[in-house]
Amino acid sequence: MSLSKNQTNVPDIPSPHLPRLASIERVSRLTEKERLFKIALEDKKSLGHAPGQFIMLCIPGYGEAPISISSPPDRNNTFEICVRAVGNLTNALHNLMQGDRLWIRGPYGKTFPIENLKGKDLLFIAGGIGLVPMRSLIKAVLAERPSYGRINLLYGVKSPEEILFKDELTQWQQTGNVNSSITIDKPHPEWKGHTGVVTTLLPPLKIDETRTVAIVVGPPVMYKYVLMSLGDKRIAGHDIYLSLERKMKCGLGKCGHCQINSVYVCQEGPVFRLSDIRYLREAI
Amino acid sequence: MEYRFLSKKGIASFLTGLLKEFKVYGPIKKDGFPLYGEIASEKDINLFHTPTHLSPKQYLFPPKETLLKFKNGETPSIESVVEANDQILFGIHACDIHAIRLLDRVFSYRPSDINYIKRREKTVIVGIDCIPDKYCFCKGVNTMTVDSGFDLFLHPLISPNGKSNRINSDRKPANLGQDMSAGFLVEIGTQRGKELLRKHTKTRKTTVKEIRKIAESKNKKAELFTKSINAEPSSLPLIYSGSYNSPVWEKIGKICYGCGSCNNVCPTCYCFDVRDNIQANLTEGERYRVWDACLLEDFAKVAGGHNFRKTRGERLRHRFNRKFQYQVDKFGGLFCVGCGRCSRTCLVNINIVEVTNELIEESNKRS
Repeated sequence: MSLSKNQTNVPDIPSPHLPRLASIERVSRLTEKERLFKIALEDKKSLGHAPGQFIMLCIPGYGEAPISISSPPDRNNTFEICVRAVGNLTNALHNLMQGDRLWIRGPYGKTFPIENLKGKDLLFIAGGIGLVPMRSLIKAVLAERPSYGRINLLYGVKSPEEILFKDELTQWQQTGNVNSSITIDKPHPEWKGHTGVVTTLLPPLKIDETRTVAIVVGPPVMYKYVLMSLGDKRIAGHDIYLSLERKMKCGLGKCGHCQINSVYVCQEGPVFRLSDIRYLREAI
Repeated sequence: MEYRFLSKKGIASFLTGLLKEFKVYGPIKKDGFPLYGEIASEKDINLFHTPTHLSPKQYLFPPKETLLKFKNGETPSIESVVEANDQILFGIHACDIHAIRLLDRVFSYRPSDINYIKRREKTVIVGIDCIPDKYCFCKGVNTMTVDSGFDLFLHPLISPNGKSNRINSDRKPANLGQDMSAGFLVEIGTQRGKELLRKHTKTRKTTVKEIRKIAESKNKKAELFTKSINAEPSSLPLIYSGSYNSPVWEKIGKICYGCGSCNNVCPTCYCFDVRDNIQANLTEGERYRVWDACLLEDFAKVAGGHNFRKTRGERLRHRFNRKFQYQVDKFGGLFCVGCGRCSRTCLVNINIVEVTNELIEESNKRS
């Protein structure tokens, strides 16, 4: 038991902080601030995620950040993330090109309960980049479109140039039988569509509250108002699912940054059923 | 429970023996403050009876710790780093042993933290009886004594020549070196502890009279507390839950500096930040974690700028609730061990016992 021996031991279980190597297969510019990255895992294994989960994205030297997975579950080794450049890491990511390497850990977190949604009418409500994690679910649902009832998608963004996945939105509407409405926050000279916050799209919508499940993803400020509007539509708390954004440093239920009362969002979320967290202070 | 008697001379040879094999960390005095530090010779150790300013958590969960080493370039690589040396934590008080047991639970919760677990496995803990100062309140949260979580536990016998009076008189940090003449009763916690004791020193059987002294000094200690929480420990989670909208949070939030000292000295605060450090040539570097503090402004702030706990009052409420409610729900057991370090270190004298008692009083009025 001398000190020189055992200075550094090789762990017999892998460190949960250890990431997997991946490379960028394709980059597409969606808006001025957001890019879509198709990422391939170099071990050729599938990521094995389900809609609603996230990864920890690592660029050595810049650190790590939690990023939602935007593509539906897939058997091959690729997946997509859509990232807005807001911090050091995400800006560094935007500088990467096809073929560049990066590292990922995950997938982490609870998923949207896709089996519980079958046979239901779905009401998707997205604000801004909330459409990113939602896209994973929408695409998974559309892959089995006949299993679901009516699908409405309400999408609110600040301005027309911030609309994400424009072509796909049109495609979902045309071939997926998705009734989608887009609204922008304030009037814009080039915008002929609906204006106002996303909640303004709800009142005219005809919904059968007995068979509708709502899925809501957006910035923190949006939830309170959307949930009030859904209350007006008499949708029950246990038929509403949300994905909550929090700061995360480990994704392993340890670092404490994502904690809401006794809940670690990285482990018990980010997807929550409203009825489970309605009384969780600081959640909404 | 197995006890052995260890004389003053015996403990010196025990320490000398341990130092040949292990790194030993124990209570020392630095710049006038009682702290835990590395012991080079048995003379360095200063077995304070009163609490240390910093907790021994730093030896299990270091303030800065490398998690990964990475190389960039044509064939990028990342490997995990686990630094775990055999070490002895010597002279640890009951509250801190309780705290380590809580950290064990947190870091072994899945996915378990390999860095902590490996270090913990290589750590021998030798506890010691202590004397409370005016900030201590372990008695009120049931952590005044400990029955497991250590390898050995030292119960100093108080010599009959009058030195025992120090327990009743002032509460200045007493140097155990002056009182070791009567020796110790060593409580055996683990086989590992027993073997170390046998290997490095000579002990003898204990007498019934000596064993009785442990209970006596425990009773004496119980009388020394000046502060206590005015409710049963098991009622505290509910009291805190009902106090979410208490005006107390805004009141203490107004005076709090938001410096995070309370987080740093707390033996059960374990939040951390993960950062990268890269060499100037950009080819290699490390990912490391550092202690973080939920009292700091940016702790819950996301990249988009939204801060989920904007005010100091909200952040204080979060920290206090982590001790008395949130972590209790998640891991069981109060996460406050009554060491009083947060109150002792607070620059504006926010006292955890006083705050809790205010909440208890409000709660009593409500019901």
